[in-house]
Amino acid sequence: MKRLGCILLFILFYASLAQAAVDSYSFDDPQLNKRFIHLTENLRCPKCLNQNIADSNAMIASDMRRKVHQLLSEGMSEDEIVLFMKARYGDFVYYQPPLNAVTALLWLIPLSFVFFGFCGFLYVKKSKSNESSRKSVEKNKALAIEKANSLLGLEKEQ
Amino acid sequence: MKKIGLFAIPLFLFVGGVAFLLKGLYSDPKELNSSVVGNPIPDFKLPDLYDSTVIHTPDIFDGKVTLLNVWGVWCITCAVELPFLTDLVDLEGVRIIGLYYDQELDPEFGTRSIESVQKEAYEMLNRFGDPYKFHILDIKRDLSLDLGVTGAPEHFLIDKKGVVRWHHIGDVNENVWVSKLKPAITVLEAE
Repeated sequence: MKRLGCILLFILFYASLAQAAVDSYSFDDPQLNKRFIHLTENLRCPKCLNQNIADSNAMIASDMRRKVHQLLSEGMSEDEIVLFMKARYGDFVYYQPPLNAVTALLWLIPLSFVFFGFCGFLYVKKSKSNESSRKSVEKNKALAIEKANSLLGLEKEQ
Repeated sequence: MKKIGLFAIPLFLFVGGVAFLLKGLYSDPKELNSSVVGNPIPDFKLPDLYDSTVIHTPDIFDGKVTLLNVWGVWCITCAVELPFLTDLVDLEGVRIIGLYYDQELDPEFGTRSIESVQKEAYEMLNRFGDPYKFHILDIKRDLSLDLGVTGAPEHFLIDKKGVVRWHHIGDVNENVWVSKLKPAITVLEAE
């Protein structure tokens, strides 16, 4: 029980630290607050490669949070702020990559897999049905010969 | 023929996949395509690090090829590259201007006074070499943000018309100088 208490205290201590590490920007307007959270979660920190600027404590991330806050207060829309950041840090800075000549392969490769897979499926299906129809033709032919032979009164030779 | 196809297509896909992943293994994820290259340097009006009455504007780049070096006293790599940059100034005649980048100086984030930073910068440059003509103090780091700076050290090569022509993240060393910076400066000087 004592140990559990220690662990709980430990967790609480670190939780408070984690919260203290992030500067808190807020707006009076809850709509703006929502936009701020959405933007900082979708803008990527250019220094830390795989963290958004809401999570990162890098110098550049805190500068960018401040900038987002400032631009939102000035009345910029979310799209305008994303463009503002892209003009400075490139497409890299936004977690949603645009569709252009460079990124087209990202979309085309999975689509081509689906396309070729479907073609392969059709091809296999067609060749199988061909085979079965050929088999039934042969079977009919054999039956017809047998019938003809019996009509002609010939004994089966084999 | 059909059998060769069945064997070759997966092999081809596999080799292609390996080549793609191998390339990724040796690429530097920090090397980003800079968005500011090709654009004129953003407008700014910022004080000098040592004299707040001196205000620098983009005019400082007029007519001269300049290397703008983003640095701060907190940055270890900046200290490491100072002797090499000083050699570039002394031996190769490169013009280097400092863009002083320090969050601790910003009252919103830190508590340092400008005097203590000036003193520390002076001592650091005295010790490792001083390649700078002067320093632009970017206290709110708005110019840095406009330039797409991600940290320090970073370098921008600016041509005689004030257009950014090269952006380098990280230090300038012998290797970078020979393979990238020197050829770029030669081209810009000839323009």
